[in-house]
Amino acid sequence: MVKIIASFLLGAVSVTALLWHSASSLMFSERVSPFGVEETVARIQENMQNAGNGWSLSGLRNAAKPIQKDGGNVLPVLMVEGCSTRYSGPILKDDNLRFLSILMPCKVSVYKKNDGKVYIATMNAALIGRLFGAKVGGIMANVANDQAKFLEFDASKPAPKMIEGTPGAGGPGAGSGADGGC
Amino acid sequence: MLSISRAAIAAWTVGAALICASAFSATSPQPAGAVASSADPAAASGVPFNAATSAEFRKGASTADHSRFRELDKEFKSGPEVTKACLSCHNEAARQVQHTKHWTWDVVNPENKKRLGKKNVINNYCTSPISNEKDCMACHVGYGWKDGNFDFSSEENVDCLVCHDTTATYRKLPGDAGHPVYERKEFPPHSGKFVEAADLKKIAQRIGKSGRSNCGACHFYGAGGDGTKHGDLSSALKKPGKYLDVHMNAEGLNFTCTKCHQTSGHQVAGSRYQLPAAEKGAAHIRGKADAAPEACQACHGNTPHSGRLSLLNDHTARVACQTCHIPEFARDPIGTEMSWDWSTATKMGPDGKPVVTKDSAGRRAFDTKKGTFVWDSYVIPEYVWFNGKFDYKAVGDKIDPAQVVKINRPEGSPAGDDSRIWPMKVHTGKQAYDKVNNTLIVAHTAGEDDTALWHNFDWVKAIGAGMKAAGLPFSGEYGFVSTEMRWPIAHMVAPKEDALNCIQCHSPDGRMKNIGGVYLPGRDAKPWFDWGAGVLSVLIFLGVLIHGGIRYISTRKGV
Repeated sequence: MVKIIASFLLGAVSVTALLWHSASSLMFSERVSPFGVEETVARIQENMQNAGNGWSLSGLRNAAKPIQKDGGNVLPVLMVEGCSTRYSGPILKDDNLRFLSILMPCKVSVYKKNDGKVYIATMNAALIGRLFGAKVGGIMANVANDQAKFLEFDASKPAPKMIEGTPGAGGPGAGSGADGGC
Repeated sequence: MLSISRAAIAAWTVGAALICASAFSATSPQPAGAVASSADPAAASGVPFNAATSAEFRKGASTADHSRFRELDKEFKSGPEVTKACLSCHNEAARQVQHTKHWTWDVVNPENKKRLGKKNVINNYCTSPISNEKDCMACHVGYGWKDGNFDFSSEENVDCLVCHDTTATYRKLPGDAGHPVYERKEFPPHSGKFVEAADLKKIAQRIGKSGRSNCGACHFYGAGGDGTKHGDLSSALKKPGKYLDVHMNAEGLNFTCTKCHQTSGHQVAGSRYQLPAAEKGAAHIRGKADAAPEACQACHGNTPHSGRLSLLNDHTARVACQTCHIPEFARDPIGTEMSWDWSTATKMGPDGKPVVTKDSAGRRAFDTKKGTFVWDSYVIPEYVWFNGKFDYKAVGDKIDPAQVVKINRPEGSPAGDDSRIWPMKVHTGKQAYDKVNNTLIVAHTAGEDDTALWHNFDWVKAIGAGMKAAGLPFSGEYGFVSTEMRWPIAHMVAPKEDALNCIQCHSPDGRMKNIGGVYLPGRDAKPWFDWGAGVLSVLIFLGVLIHGGIRYISTRKGV
């Protein structure tokens, strides 16, 4: 009996340790881009606009800029933000799921590291979606499929122009902000 | 009686403390960063240094109001007319300028007598000004250099305004052989954008000390575009934030270029041809004769770190200040050009017409006239041993087309104390060479004549004309060879908090991974040494355990 309990505990601890260790790589993924920062961003933006399924650009955020304004330096970090009304609508209409707006808009982060290479980071939408039940899981599985298409690059095509700013930014008040899909 | 004694002692103590405090405050050394500003007259007079007081000082420093001079109160028709007026008072100025590199574009290497300077070396951007003078001389401090017959002795050909204009309205465009815009002109051609004619009278009446815009008009835009050439110079430095350059920070120290590149008799300190790569000694006070006022050490000395960072002073004999304090160059979206491939030039668009395309950030990516470009920003430098000298390829030098041609090879080694580890921008390219004579070619690119590459897109004609102007033979056969050019990085000094940290160099895959000739802890390993150190550590640990154990047992037994 003692052996069984000990084995069970050992198994549980091992799995927990394994999950703990690999949680970050399960939740997020990182890959090297074959292009520079701006071109990577521009190609993701173009893919996002051509993805269909209600996708549109919500904005481009430069996380390095506030640090520069404060007198410091970090290597470039640009976050491409996009949203699909087809996927966001059902979640935002459900009072029990509206808190998931915290995950919106969908982000793809493009940044340079000290090795001089450019990287792309995304969230594992499918896995995270499954944590919130079948409805969200199904939606997020579709998001994950589209997200994979955002990162399919055709190097033979000329580099598109990077779209800066926030498309559709409105006036002040509760109705303000970008209407790019979300 | 006792209370009187106590009061006296207390009074004596307070008095002594005050004397000590005032004495120490007068003699305590200033931090290294304060040395530069202490030389500023505003700071020396006790006025706190800031941009406003500095500007007021500069404004008040001149003893002459040029708008009140009769010589300048007339309508000038040309640049040389203005120069003539300037020289009526500043009668030595032109002669001084004519002895500078800014005028001659000619430098003699004192060690091997090789002729360098823009007129003689070749680069892997536009390649050479020879036969393209009408365009390239937009960045010459003179008027009228349009071919090989320019009169270098004419004082009226010296352009005073390009360096002393304070109105930012004086512009020299390619194609005018160094003359300013005399009539409103569309530029770039067919762009719908117009450059207004320079109001020479107004500009002459408002001349002043050279500012960032004066130096930057050429040095920020070298090789045909903003930030293109150097990597650490772009228009972002006209009004930079602290993050980009702590010295030039418009809200802080607000240095102009000449604060470091001090000028004497129009000779501007600092040059790629004579670069102070390994200055030694303590900080200088500004105003004292200095061979290299532009070196960091001139203000900061060679032991600039204090307190817990003083260990870093051990690095200054081997590592240039720039290596740690400029962790990346082109730290702005303007970026810098990293590659220029001439082999794709003359390739037309789908409609058979010349085409220009831009990259995702709006920088030139392809031009039928010029070829293909690659840009980058926030670039990690390459690090090399460097003693301030380059071995340059001059026009006509032989090359080995089977190898990547090093247009300029930095000299230096870990052996001598004249070298430091320096950060460099590496610009790669493909450029034309003579397949028979094995020389890099000079091509006649700019112009509207039938031999200009940008007019007729015929390489053979363009090379023939260029080589003839350079006085070199051309076999008629050309190819394209890979080239590399290196640019020492010395501007865009980051705030000290953003300097490289230890692990960025002291690690196996760190910034110094390609630096040879030194043992770098953290990067290099000697197995026998590591093994020996490990054994020693274990023995020490055992020794402590045994020693401690014996003492413990002895104590317990009461021995």
